[in-house]
Amino acid sequence: MRLKIEKRNESASTLSVLSMSVLSVVVSLVILGFIILSLGKNPIDAYIQLVSWPFGTIAGLTQSLISMTPLLFTSLGLVLAFKMKLWNIGAEGQFYMGAFGATWGALFLFNHISNPWIMLPLIALLGAGVGAGWGTLAGVMKARLGVNEILSTLMLNYVAIYWVNYLVYGPWRDPASYNFPITAEFPKAAILPQYTANGINLGMFLAIAASFFVYYLLKWTRFGFEIDISGDNPKAAEYAGINVKKMIVIVMAVSGALSGLGGMMQMSGVLFRLQPNFSPGYGYTAIIIVLLARLNPFVTVVVAFLFGGLIVGTQQIQLFLQIPFSLVNAFQGLLLFSFVAGEALLHYKLRWLKA
Amino acid sequence: MKSKFFFLVVLLLSIGILAIASPLKIGFIFVGPVNDHGWTQAHYDGGVVALKKAFNNQVQITYIENVPEGAPSLNVLNTLASKGYNLIYTTSFGYMNQVVQAAKRHPDVIFEMCSGYELAHNLGEYFGRMYEPRYLSGLIAGVMTKSGKVGYVAAYPTPEVVRGINAFTLGVRAVNPRAIVHVVWTYSWYNPPVEKEAALSLIDSGCDVIAQHQDSPAAIQAAQSKGVYAIGYDSIMEKFGPDAYLTAPIWDWSKFYVPDVKSVLNGTWKSRFYWKGMETGIVKLAPMSKLVPISVQKLVMAMENEIKTGNFHVFEGPIYDQNGKLRIQSGKIMSDNELLSMQWFVNGVVGKIPQSK
Amino acid sequence: MSDIVLKLSGIVKSFPGVLANDHVNFTLKKGEVHALLGENGAGKTTLMNITFGIYRQDEGEIYINGERAEITSPHRAMEYGIGMIQQHFSLVPSFSVAENIALGLKGSKISPKVDLVRKKVKDLAERFGLNVNPDSRIWQLSAGEQQRVEILKLLYMNAQIMILDEPTAILTPQEATNLFKTIKEMVKYGASVIFISHKLKEVLEVSDRITVMRHGKVIDTLKKDEVSERILAKKMVGRDVVLKILKKPSAPKKVELEVKDLWSRGDKGIYAVRGVSLEVKSGEILGIAGVAGNGQRELAESIYGLRKYTGEVKIEGETMRPLSVVSRMKSGVAYIPQDRKEVALCGGLPIYYNLFLKKPFRVPEFYLNPYLFNSSRLKRPSEQLVNEYLISTSSLNLEVKYLSGGNMQKVVLARELSLNPKLIIAVHPTRGLDVGAIEFVYKILLKARDNGTAILLVAGDLEEIFTLSDRVAVLYEGEIIGYSKPDESHLEEIGLMMAGVRKVKK
Repeated sequence: MRLKIEKRNESASTLSVLSMSVLSVVVSLVILGFIILSLGKNPIDAYIQLVSWPFGTIAGLTQSLISMTPLLFTSLGLVLAFKMKLWNIGAEGQFYMGAFGATWGALFLFNHISNPWIMLPLIALLGAGVGAGWGTLAGVMKARLGVNEILSTLMLNYVAIYWVNYLVYGPWRDPASYNFPITAEFPKAAILPQYTANGINLGMFLAIAASFFVYYLLKWTRFGFEIDISGDNPKAAEYAGINVKKMIVIVMAVSGALSGLGGMMQMSGVLFRLQPNFSPGYGYTAIIIVLLARLNPFVTVVVAFLFGGLIVGTQQIQLFLQIPFSLVNAFQGLLLFSFVAGEALLHYKLRWLKA
Repeated sequence: MKSKFFFLVVLLLSIGILAIASPLKIGFIFVGPVNDHGWTQAHYDGGVVALKKAFNNQVQITYIENVPEGAPSLNVLNTLASKGYNLIYTTSFGYMNQVVQAAKRHPDVIFEMCSGYELAHNLGEYFGRMYEPRYLSGLIAGVMTKSGKVGYVAAYPTPEVVRGINAFTLGVRAVNPRAIVHVVWTYSWYNPPVEKEAALSLIDSGCDVIAQHQDSPAAIQAAQSKGVYAIGYDSIMEKFGPDAYLTAPIWDWSKFYVPDVKSVLNGTWKSRFYWKGMETGIVKLAPMSKLVPISVQKLVMAMENEIKTGNFHVFEGPIYDQNGKLRIQSGKIMSDNELLSMQWFVNGVVGKIPQSK
Repeated sequence: MSDIVLKLSGIVKSFPGVLANDHVNFTLKKGEVHALLGENGAGKTTLMNITFGIYRQDEGEIYINGERAEITSPHRAMEYGIGMIQQHFSLVPSFSVAENIALGLKGSKISPKVDLVRKKVKDLAERFGLNVNPDSRIWQLSAGEQQRVEILKLLYMNAQIMILDEPTAILTPQEATNLFKTIKEMVKYGASVIFISHKLKEVLEVSDRITVMRHGKVIDTLKKDEVSERILAKKMVGRDVVLKILKKPSAPKKVELEVKDLWSRGDKGIYAVRGVSLEVKSGEILGIAGVAGNGQRELAESIYGLRKYTGEVKIEGETMRPLSVVSRMKSGVAYIPQDRKEVALCGGLPIYYNLFLKKPFRVPEFYLNPYLFNSSRLKRPSEQLVNEYLISTSSLNLEVKYLSGGNMQKVVLARELSLNPKLIIAVHPTRGLDVGAIEFVYKILLKARDNGTAILLVAGDLEEIFTLSDRVAVLYEGEIIGYSKPDESHLEEIGLMMAGVRKVKK
């Protein structure tokens, strides 16, 4: 007897794709439960903590929604790029650059503007623009020089993070803050409207609006149609008269712009000043989110919300069961693994052969 | 009348009992893992462990480790506050922005912030004058170096770190006026591989004593492997380099946490900037290893006494900066404000601080 | 029988839609060079991949030194003393020559004795005239030198049966001459060599016996002394009558396509098209005959704007810019490329996407607002095309990769012809299709011709050329070596031109 792996002859149905996504989450939850059990804690308690606070209380729900916002912006950026099979790992860096652009605008370029309805669009444009530039850089390198975008975007993440660090530790340090590495606070005009005392702000609604925009772009424009073609087979796209190189650059730019916009919203909506290490890796978590959401912009909203809740929920487990933080990372890793395994099962089948 | 009065007494008593019986709920937010042998572990030992021992059932303590700076820390702060925690300690400067926001949102919760500077009626700041034991460790380094080059692995160019480097260098130059201190920035509080690389590069350029402002013992391990001396930080790191380790300036946070909690319990807590030195024991020099000659140990202990009694100030003029410019007049002592925003190196430091506009 | 080292008996191998080897018999004698001659796609490489254990045969047996052998993997093949040099080398670029050779050795998995290997490699290189420095890194070597390393590898392993798959394709003429010398030297030391090629001259130069394959079958096995280029050419391109389709005489009108002195490089950077000039008129089919790999693909891609070129391409008198597919599409050029899966279709997208890959926005009568367009609007017109072109599918939503080869080609044809093109460039339009599908393609193309479309047909199969074209041009090494008429009586003439023999001007 030996095991043989064979390619399946038909595409997977929507139902099986969906159930595979759910299944991979369930499987990773079960494995997580065993890890928690091995730490001498009760996994049932953990599951309850994981779900009850972020989804069952107003305060927790608010936190989940706030955590969702940056995840959603970066994820939507990735949806576009991944649709074209451009593996943009650089949402994190584009997010940082967006925050940089917003801070630049709010504190230095437009600091004399006191009308928020002028200021906010300006810094949003600047944040999106700088993020777009960061994406374009990787896009141009791929289109012109054939540089692998996985490597270039990953490397550019570091450049962006160190660039922000440099500014915050150096020239942008707020003199009023005893030379601590933190910029001055945004002026009132650069702060997004806040709707509740605990931080629900305009950014969240704009993130959801952005998902409609991405959906429109993909489903209702020629651009989206051409993304489908170029993503599936770039040679066929060239043959059909599509300038694939141009598409690569544009898609990377739009992708970066969305992540950059996320960075701006995080600054103007939640943090109000630039500080080092302000992102706990939103741009990387976004990769898992869009894969689980199968690149559907609306499903992405749901998954990003669930992930926002998951982040909040795992903090709960940690706080009230004293389970190490590494489990959060482990869980995300488990999710990715079971997703990849599920993906393989969708496209291949296993068969026992008699030797 | 009488029965009414009696009822009132009972009511008051029961409220009192309830108040006493419900323990003070304390939360700690840590930036690293509690077993890092460094900064976070020092807070864990001096905070969580010491408080449990000191107050038993009077307090209920939870902690959360590895909390990223930025928005997630705001979540944790809000959760703790809305779950009835009355006293929340945050142990990294990176949370300050979020602590300020949380303090505004939860005016009846006491927030304590380590190593920041913002104050509010319910937000206190606490820190220790680590530069004092750093000065003492500098004395030892100045004696032990043969090449006259001392290396310093430093995390970020914040005033706290700069202050430490300056105090250390003043110590080195007090016993060895020609010695210089080379600084390498790692841009990370905790990143063992990078810290090790930084230490090795310093050793390669001729430094034979390595000091550090990092939260891992990687620099000591590097020194051990290359056969040079090392000075630790945060905790006694002797086991990571028995042939290299000289001493370490260390924290004993219980000296702050225990009285602080006591003041909250008996209702005398008030917002303030707590910044104390060796006289309280919050900072000290760890026992010197046998690599340090007895005569040097004696000198160091004498200096320690001078500082504790207030006869000697580390940052007392004349102090010259890197360019040889006189910064502190002879006989003048730097003010706390000047110390808190220190952004220049004293004479004898080789290294650069990124300058703000 | 003792002198027969390898015997293949009744080998059958089929791939989806293609019968690659059809009851093939083949023998290799000790100490001989045996050439396998045939066009691309004739089944030579498949047969040798079976011998080397890369594929398993569906039917048939392999005997080595008279004993039945089960060759389940290249590893087993090497144990039987069979070595193969494939068209793509398997060398580690950052390792040295000696290290690469040591790498393939058995029993030295942990620390190959590179020093020992280096010495022996030097000896072997001298003895067989394989000039390679054992200490050079592979990435520093030219393709020819890398091939010598592969040969050294086989010699080092003491392979008794050596298979060389199109070894001269990457070599300069001088290098090829040296290779032939080496082969003769190896045979002297007792090895037997199978030499795969489609070039007549070199086959005659190097081999003792020649087996000609066509369409997966062995046509004949001949001794070198018995044959000439002429005979071989005829056998190689021969003619199997599959279909007979009657066509009306053509009525060519104005010139649709004019190519002048077109030069274009292949993927390896060498000129593949060398100064081609030609004309195609509306209502006629110009067939380009030639052994595959003589510049056909590059010529078609240049004309369609996918490949850089110098020279001039005019469509209806208008000069086209190089590398602009859009301008061709606007001028009404349709293109049926030879790799339909790789170039003309998006396998992962549904049929109705593929039917309108080019169309929805660029053709006036199908103009849709690019900012208010949903792909589901393509479904209705797609249904029409599916019916018209008899594409058999369960659903319009089916991804194209799940279609059969014939249906894929129908999708391409439906799309290209529904654009009402003025010029069709069709390259190997029936490759890999079954008889029914072939007939369908022929009829469609002839109908387009009768409606006044100009067609440039590139085909390897002479039968196809004869059935469809009105004129035949033969492409040899990137040049048009001559023109002929598409009928039986000119078969030999065309075969000779395909082998590089110029027609004597009468």
